[in-house]
Amino acid sequence: MASSVPVAVRADDDPSFARTGRPRRSWVARSRPWLLLAPGLAVLAVLMLWPLLRVFLFSLQDYGLPQIVSGEPNWIGLGNFAEVLTSEQLWSVVLPNTIGFAVLAVSATVAFGTAVAVLLASLGTAWRAVVSSCIMAAWAMPAVTGTYVWVWIFDADRGVFNHVLQSLGLQDAPVNWFTDRWSFYAIVLLNIVHHGFPFVTVTVLAALLGVPRELIEAAEIDGAGGWRRFFSIIVPQLRQVFAVVIIMSTIWDFKVFAQVFLMPGGAGTNREVLNLGVWSYVESFGQNRYGFGAAIAVLLTLMLLAITVVYVRTILKEEEL
Amino acid sequence: MSVLSVRRPTPRAQVGKAVAVVALLVFTLFPAYWMLVSAFDAKAGLGTSFVPAEPTVEHFRFVLTEGGFDVFLRNSAVVALVTVLVSAVLALLASVAVARFRFRLRTQILLMILVVQMVPLEALVIPLFVQVRNLQLLETLLGLIVVYVALALPFGIWMLRGFVAAVPVELEEAAYVDGASWGRMFRSILLPLVAPGLVATSIFSFITAWNEFLFAMTLLGGATENYTVAIGLRSFFGQFSNEWGAIMAASTLITVPVMVFFILVQRRLAAGLTSGAVKG
Repeated sequence: MASSVPVAVRADDDPSFARTGRPRRSWVARSRPWLLLAPGLAVLAVLMLWPLLRVFLFSLQDYGLPQIVSGEPNWIGLGNFAEVLTSEQLWSVVLPNTIGFAVLAVSATVAFGTAVAVLLASLGTAWRAVVSSCIMAAWAMPAVTGTYVWVWIFDADRGVFNHVLQSLGLQDAPVNWFTDRWSFYAIVLLNIVHHGFPFVTVTVLAALLGVPRELIEAAEIDGAGGWRRFFSIIVPQLRQVFAVVIIMSTIWDFKVFAQVFLMPGGAGTNREVLNLGVWSYVESFGQNRYGFGAAIAVLLTLMLLAITVVYVRTILKEEEL
Repeated sequence: MSVLSVRRPTPRAQVGKAVAVVALLVFTLFPAYWMLVSAFDAKAGLGTSFVPAEPTVEHFRFVLTEGGFDVFLRNSAVVALVTVLVSAVLALLASVAVARFRFRLRTQILLMILVVQMVPLEALVIPLFVQVRNLQLLETLLGLIVVYVALALPFGIWMLRGFVAAVPVELEEAAYVDGASWGRMFRSILLPLVAPGLVATSIFSFITAWNEFLFAMTLLGGATENYTVAIGLRSFFGQFSNEWGAIMAASTLITVPVMVFFILVQRRLAAGLTSGAVKG
């Protein structure tokens, strides 16, 4: 990771100070960091922080098309949140599809990615380079085209998956895999793991190659088997790396949008497969209930914020900002 | 030689490893391979052939002419390039500030930049839709570019910060000793040394803007002539049947630039950047 480079700032590196040797700094030199930051901060303030505050304000209103046109507020207090939190849809469909799926997807991605990293570490240098490049192809595939390819593979009438099952005699008639909630999310899971495991593999592999060989040699001489060496020697060495990889994957897998939205029925027609992000979008832009959609989005943001706090604490342990 | 063991592997372990590698490659490459096969096959989806049954470039011709994908590709290129240029300048200036200066609120600003990256786009899309609408920029490429610059910026600052910090302070001090002003030092010392990082960061912004789907769909609405590639794909989905050959050909056109850029970034990141710029 580029961010792990230590920050080379010292007390005496202020340019004007270094140049003139005078302890008093000019006004320009003192305000230089702020001048440099100003354009970027202005963009972030207007296009990230203000909208973030605004989505919260919207969530406290009955905000629909009339409010968008007139710009007049229409406060209803916590009404939207009450409606979201008491809705059957949230508890029986949306939360399981969001949290349950994220748990499954993160476990599968991290387990598979780590297994591949161990496999790569056991290969020779040339093969390792070839296989890693192929893995990059899976990572580089854009979410949109990747999702369409999976939809095409599992297409009911002409998809290769049904064709193969039928020619093997495992299935009499084509099956529509997108109508059932479980098979729908199984395909999403396949898509997410396929797209997400290269990040885990690359990060864990880099850390694996950094584990001191003496440790592994010593354990092997002491008679520790492969599993024992992995869980007792390598995993403790890589705790920090695993923490970062797990948290990053969790953040991504909570926010799955295109991979669900672009599947047949995923854009709101099949209410069984909604997750928090898609539900928020469908309520806002499909039903013009922007206030209600904003309340759902606020819930999603709060969940991610909680995970982010854990993440920030983890990297603050590792390096000084 | 293996990294995780000092012993010589048994023949059985060797075979097992070979099988695992083949299975892994099949799983990893199959979607991309299937995309290409379908894109070049006139009979895509009519049989179980794993190579094009009737090779053709007809899908590509259709997509780029009647399909209007030439326009979508141009729109995406314009949006991505402007996004890259603007966000690279803003990110470079900001990253120099946080990597080279100590000032009040510096840590808070860094944390803010880190946290903002985690915000779900679904939360930003509602207020930004209203904001872009008020600016009368709905259905225009400019509205999309403005949003993409903001999306690319936090990661750009975060990544460039590492590259700027890796440039030895001694080089800057040497420039001051030689009488250079701060601006001169920035242009002649810092900028050339950070250039590889700038390229890597720009490629990431390019990929962000090229792939983005949610805002393109929301902000461009029905303005088909301004569609970017990510939403242009949807025009090949018919009400009753989907033109899968055309969809896969268009997907290939979208995916290839991203894959090329990705491989470029990998090399850039692997190269030791400025390590060894100061000789002991």
